[in-house]
Formats: sequence, structure tokens, C-alpha cells
Amino acid sequence: MIGGSFSWIRRASPLAGIAPQLRSRIIVTTIFALAILFPIVHRNDADIDAVANALTYAALALGLNIVVGLAGLLDLGYAAFFAIGAYTYGVAASWQVTPEWTGFWETFEWLGMVARFHETTGDVVHFQVSFWLMMPVAAALTAFFGLLFGAPTLRLKGDYLAIVTLGFGEIVPIVVRNTPSVTNGAMGLNGVMAPQLFGWSFGVDATPYYYVGLALVAFLILTSQRLKFSRIGRAWMAIREDEVAAAAMGVNRVKLKLLAFATGAAFAGATGTLFVAKLQTATPDMFGFPVSVMILVMVVFGGIGSVWGVVLGAMLLQILQSWFLIDLSQWLHALGRLVGVEWLQRIELASSIELIFGLILVTMMLYRREGLIPATRRVAALSLEEQNAPVTRGGFDSLQGLGALDAAVDQPGAAPLLQIDNLTVRFGGLVALRSVTLSVPAHSVVAVIGPNGSGKSTLFNAVTGLVPANEGSVRFAGVEIVGKPPHVVLERGIARTFQNIRLFPNLTVLENVLIGMHARLHTGALGALLRLPVTHREEAAAKARAFEILSVFGNRLLPRADHVVSSLSYANRRRVEIARALASDPKILLLDEPTAGMNPAETLELAEQIKGLNRLGLTIILIEHKLAVVVNLADKVIVLDHGEKIAEGSPAEIRRDEEVIRAYLGRSAAIA
Amino acid sequence: MTDTAVLLQQVINGLSLGAMYALLALGFTLVYGILELINFAHFNVFMVASFIGMWALEFLGVSGQSEVLTGMALFGTLAFAFAVTMLAAGVIGVAIERIALRPLRGVGGTAAMITTIGVSYILFNIILLTVGASSQNFPNPLPVVRWEIAGAVLQLREVLIWGITLALMLGLHLFVSRTRLGKAMRATAQDAEAARMMGVDVDRVIVTAFFLGSALAGAAALIFGLYYNFTSFIIGYTAGLRAFTAAVLGGIGSVTGAMVGGVLIGLIESLGGHFLAVRWADVIIFSILVLVLVFAPTGLFGRAAATRS
Repeated sequence: MIGGSFSWIRRASPLAGIAPQLRSRIIVTTIFALAILFPIVHRNDADIDAVANALTYAALALGLNIVVGLAGLLDLGYAAFFAIGAYTYGVAASWQVTPEWTGFWETFEWLGMVARFHETTGDVVHFQVSFWLMMPVAAALTAFFGLLFGAPTLRLKGDYLAIVTLGFGEIVPIVVRNTPSVTNGAMGLNGVMAPQLFGWSFGVDATPYYYVGLALVAFLILTSQRLKFSRIGRAWMAIREDEVAAAAMGVNRVKLKLLAFATGAAFAGATGTLFVAKLQTATPDMFGFPVSVMILVMVVFGGIGSVWGVVLGAMLLQILQSWFLIDLSQWLHALGRLVGVEWLQRIELASSIELIFGLILVTMMLYRREGLIPATRRVAALSLEEQNAPVTRGGFDSLQGLGALDAAVDQPGAAPLLQIDNLTVRFGGLVALRSVTLSVPAHSVVAVIGPNGSGKSTLFNAVTGLVPANEGSVRFAGVEIVGKPPHVVLERGIARTFQNIRLFPNLTVLENVLIGMHARLHTGALGALLRLPVTHREEAAAKARAFEILSVFGNRLLPRADHVVSSLSYANRRRVEIARALASDPKILLLDEPTAGMNPAETLELAEQIKGLNRLGLTIILIEHKLAVVVNLADKVIVLDHGEKIAEGSPAEIRRDEEVIRAYLGRSAAIA
Repeated sequence: MTDTAVLLQQVINGLSLGAMYALLALGFTLVYGILELINFAHFNVFMVASFIGMWALEFLGVSGQSEVLTGMALFGTLAFAFAVTMLAAGVIGVAIERIALRPLRGVGGTAAMITTIGVSYILFNIILLTVGASSQNFPNPLPVVRWEIAGAVLQLREVLIWGITLALMLGLHLFVSRTRLGKAMRATAQDAEAARMMGVDVDRVIVTAFFLGSALAGAAALIFGLYYNFTSFIIGYTAGLRAFTAAVLGGIGSVTGAMVGGVLIGLIESLGGHFLAVRWADVIIFSILVLVLVFAPTGLFGRAAATRS
């Protein structure tokens, strides 16, 4: 299951008739078979060396792609992690640090990690830890640095994070340069040990490094793909698309951002060991800002978020740099001599590689932001027939049990499912909600109405933890939830939609709904990587459930499950948002103007669907302007005005209430 | 030199550096205030401007540091050099906005910022490939006039830098607070959508911000040259990052903040470099950047922006 994104080959391909999954498998196998054969067939050490270097950068691009491409965190100091990995192995397998020999080291000598070396001044320790041991150790250590650095900074907004990472990327090489006792400063490490395999040293021949690089890249591609198409990867992409909506759908932002940062760092750490082992030296200059930018260029060029794309981008740019630029310059010189143009004969493209990088960044951003291999494949639009198919309504049979509550909470005489007391929210001097009290009985529909700016959405935001409440309490099934972060509120069973639709625009309908299930699924990073049968089963069940939920809306969403939501109509986006909220298996559903922007027929259809959901047992709180909908659906209505509750009662009572008429229509209407 | 004299000397140096960083920081802050975009191209607009300044002075026949001008000749030369450099830098800034950034207006995420990194790289390499990697001797027509104050040396150069910086900042302040376009700028910074609906030509405001910011970077570039007597293709990166730190420290989006932050960073660089070690100066400055962003993202005078999503 490495493939999955090779649909770009589909058109005019000889493989067109073959099932997509098999096709990807054939392509992947061919690519790796050719890669394995390359050094055997080609036998040019310089070329093998160039490709081995390119593989190193492909591995780095894969790591940065996790951070920038999947989680959307722009890291401009990524090379710092590369440096930490490189120096970790560099110091553990060279003559750089040689402490005095003591008994302490004997165990390590027995393990083969250090050797006792006789010097005239006394015996010293020579570190010679195995490359194969150090690669995972360096990856783990670098991941730790990723956590250490990420913890305080990851709450910053994207562009600030970029600057902070840039600063971090500067600090690491400076520290390396300024601590010569460990790193040999600007002179660089020397005599880093080559890796050994069963007593045979890799030496300076490029071929063994090529194969290690190839294996590393293959492993990282597998890791990236498996993470990307898992609960973890979906949560990362949700954060990238809309952080607030991700949190409201149960994604623990801090934890997942840190995971992305640490994973990306670990990739760089592992690659750093290979890099320093191959060069057998390292200087601080190898890890500066230009390197971070080069890796970013590779990711942008190949396709931000696209696993195969960034590998292709990295390989192309590196090979361009080491093979073609020199040839190309010579051709230009020849052309210059031919036509007698002097400046053509002086062009050295190899030295203008950074200019080319700059041009690539700007050109890609202006004309092809999705890169060489786009991360999201496009799905053909529905056929005219499908588009004009008569609208069918789905049933609710598959959703039996939705909104069911624990027996302890759900009995006559129990406290209301949601009890809001004296809830107050202030924004500076403005009081958006003033001491609002509201109780929502289980299995009821409560409508919240009021003029614009009366605090309705603020009420939802305060209940779901998106804005902090200044005073008051919100008890859900008897438990206080004020002060809980949004993802915890969702986990408890309160899901919501947003007034101005906050979907994850570049993800598909299915992915949006699956993200809604985040809190109800369990696969972690390790589970996603190993893809054990239990993970497989969970994923398959989640997809089946997602289709059940989509089927509530009949043929509105089902045929469009693989479409990105930004291509959907407004009404369908509203439906996806409701489906996404339902996917979290909520006890209470908060709908913020669900019929806004819908025509009368669509409004009626949705109102019936909401009613159907309530009949299943789901408790619903509804913000709505269309009074017909409110009267039709609500058991109870509360009216907010200027942040205060001015009325509460049945729809019929509210319609007669003078306060309400005054708030909506003004004083004279109330008198008349 | 006595300890106080050393301290005073470092303060004098720090104020001059700070004046330069403040001018450069204003460019970050003006653009950020309106577009919420960190403009990495600004780093190298500054660098390119230093070469333009050098060529402008050479065009007037000033070369090296030995040719000293006085009186009206000096005034005219400097006025010409500043006018040409600031105008050229401003035009470069506007060109960047029109060619590379305007098409991306409305595209969310990091696209615009990545583009500015690309533009920065292009500028950097154009100078590297045409002028070369060796640093250039920057012509300086200023006569050496020195005053001794409590053992520290104050030069005409310093006084001039402070004077020019203050004049430019006063000019910017008057522009932003007194003119119609300045008012439009403040409105756009508050709420671009509302400003557009009230008839403000937002594109014109953005172009103005780029022009002013880049022109001030041009002035900063000339000051750099006159202060250090050299320029090179690499100066944009370090100076730019320090100026950005200044803008963040002062509170990004705030004009006053950029000025105060610039002076503070200048003082931190000269005093920190003196009392600790020059090789750690950048670590100190970057640590300040990180600490301010993490613990006080509004800076000294700014609006809450860093964690807003």
C-alpha cells in the first residue's frame, strides 16, 4: 500500500486498464528494481555518489514534508535537526572527544562501543559506536530536540513559527561553531568512522552508501504514506487546513503538532548519521539557512504534502545540480562560440543554483502551487446524468443509537443533559454574554434565536471551549466542562457546526467525515506505521461508518465522497459539516444556522433530517433565523439580545412575547 | 579607556546600529501591519540598495574613504545618494509586490511567504553573480570630525546617522498621521475589508507600504555603508534578521515599536557583544526573538497577532 497517488499517470498510460492499486504496486516495484540495479549496471562511482547524495536530500525532503506538507507548520530551520543527527554520530564515532580511560568504560569496551587507546599522557577513550546503533539513537535524540524546541513555540501562528524556526536554525550552527571542544568548531569533525557491516568497512566507495540511502528513503516513504493515510495523517492535515475546526472536531492540536515536529526531526536525525558517515566529516556550514531553504525548495517543487512528489523534487534538483548544470553550461559555451556571443561563453550555471532555487520557488508559487505531483488527486466531476439525478433522501436506520446516553444520566427526573448557569463572556469591555442560564433536557431540540450580534455564536463558542468563559458553569451530564479545551469537549460528546462553515477545504468529503471520528478512533503513530490487523479493521469500520453517515443525505453526498469539499455547492458543504459532526458520535449536536443560504426546498429537507436525527434520540441545540424552522423543530426556544437571555418558552409563547417583538422589530411594533 | 568611557562608547555605537535596524524594521512592520505577511525579500532589498548607494556615490566621483567633502558639496552628494537609493529601493519593493505578491492575494497559507523567500534568493544571487563574492569598499565622503565626551569618541558620522534617521522617522510619522493616504493606510491595517468598502483603494495602500518600507531600507543601506565602509552580498541576512527581531520586540505592526525595538536591538548587540562575546551576539539576539514571541507575542507596543489564527 505504498502507492495511491499515481493517478497522474493515468491518462495515456499503457497501464490504463489495470486496477489502480495493482498499477501503483507495479510502478513502485519497477522504480525500486531500477534503483537497485543502477549501481550494478552503471558502475561510475562519481554518478553513484551523486545519486547517493540525492537520496540523502530525498530523505530530508520527506521529513520536512511531514512538518510543512502534512501539518502545515513552516519550518525554516529544518537543517538544524539534520545537524544534530550528524553531530550525534560524528561525535560518537570519531576522535573528537577522548576522555581519560577509567573503569567506567570497560562495559562499553566489552560492548564494542569504545576502545582503549594508549597515549603518552595516559590511556584515553576512543568512541566507536556502531553506525547501525547510532542511526536510531540519533533519530530519537533529534526527535527529543524537536519536542524540546516545539513545546513552547508551536502555538505560534504559521509565519511567526517560520521566523522562530529560522532563529533556531541559526543558533544550532553557531553553537556548533562556538564549542570546539566537542565539535572541533569551524574546522569540522574529522575522521568520522565509516559504517561497518559484519566487520567489513564501507570505506569511501559510494555504492554501499547508495544502498543504505535507498533503504532509508524506501523506509521513510513507507512511513510517510502510512502516516498520511491514517488517523494521525488526517489530523495533521486537518490542523493544516483549519486549526480551530480541527480542535472543535476532537484533534488535540498541541499533541499532534509536537508529533509532526518530532517525526520530521527524527527523519532528519537519521539522515544526518548517514550524511556524516558518508562524508566522514561535518562542518557547521553544511547545516545553515541555505540548506534549510534548499530542502524547502525540493518540497515546494515536488508538491507540498505529496510523498512521491517531494522525493521526485529532491532527486531532480540534486541530480540537476551535480550532473546537468555543468553539461548545460558547456553547451551554452559552445553555442556562444558558435554565434560569437561573448557572455554566453562565460555562463556558469552551477554557481547560479541558488538563483535557480529562487526562481523555482517564485514560479511554483505563482503558477503551480501543487507542485510536480499534486498531493490531492483530482476526481472527475459527476456526469451530467449523475448531477441531474432526482434527489433521494437517506434513511436513519443505520444511525440507530445515535445520541443514546448512559442509563444513569438518562432517566426521568435526572438533571438536564446540558445545564448552563450564569455564563458570562467578555471581550475587553464588551460583554458578549451576560449571565446566561439555560437547561437542555436530554433528547430535546432547543432553539437559540436573537438579532445579529446578540451572542448566539458566542454561546456555542463558550460551550465548546473555543472562547474562554469569564464566569459561570456549563455542566454536561452533571460534569463541569468550562475551561476544558475544545477537543476534550468533543470527546465528552458535544459536536458542533459553524455559522460560516469551517470544513477542511482541500480534503475530500470522506476525509472530512473521518476527521470527525478522530476522537472515537484509537490508531496512534506506531499503529499507523505497523498497520496491524487491528488498525486495518478500525480503518475499514471507520470508512463503512462514514458512508452510513453520508447516506443520511441520500444521493447528495454519497457520489461525491471523493471530491474535495471546496468543489461542493454551498448547501452540500453545510451537509458535510453536519455529517462531520455526526461522525464524532455526539450526545448533543450544536447547529449554528444550518439552513443559512439554502433555498426553501433545501431548508425543508434539512429541517426534516434534523427532526429525524432528534427522533433517533440525539439532543440538538439550534441557532436559527428562519422562524418556520424554529417553530417546526424546537421544543423550547430561548431568545438572546445584547448577550442577555430575554425570553424562554415554547415556540408559541415566544411568538407572543413583547420583549421578543421589541428586540426584533423595535419599540413601535411592540406597542402596536 | 575607563569603564564608563567604554560603556558610553558602546552606547554610541549601539545607537547608530539601532538607527539602522529601526529603519529596516519599519519596512517589516509596515507590510506586516497591512498584509500580515513576513516579507523575507526585505532582507535583500536592503542589500541590493547598499550597492545602489555605492554606485550612486561612485557616480558622483566619490571613491574610497580618502576623498573628503565639506559644506554644500557634502550635503549635495549625500542628498543625491539618499534620494537615488531610496527611490530605487522603493521601486524594487513595488516591483516585487506587483510581480510576485499581488497574484497571490487571497491565497491562504504560506504561499506568499514562500514567494518572498524565493524573491530574496533571486536578489541575493543576482548580486552574487554580477558583483561577485568579495566585499566592496564603500565610498565615504564624510570628513573625520571627532568629539571626545568623557573619554568616548563621538564622530560626525554618528551625529549624521542619528539626524537622518530622526528626520525620516518624523517624516513617516507625519505621513501616516496627517495625510489622506496615511489615514487610508491606518484604516487598512485595522480592517482591510471595511476599508475597501469605505472606498479605500487597498491595492494603492499596499503599494505605498511596500514603497515606503523599501525606501527606508534604502536609507538604512546607505547608513550601513557609511558606518562600516563596506558592503557585500551577504549583509542582508544578518541585518535583516536583527531588524526583524527589532520589529517583533517592539511589537510587529507598530511604527513606534519598530523604532524603539531597533534602538534596543542595536544597544543589545553592541553592549552584549562587548560584555559577553561577539561570537555569541547572534545567539543572544535570536534568543530574544524566540523568548519575545513565545512569552510576549505583542512585543512592547503591538497588537496581539502572533498566536491569532
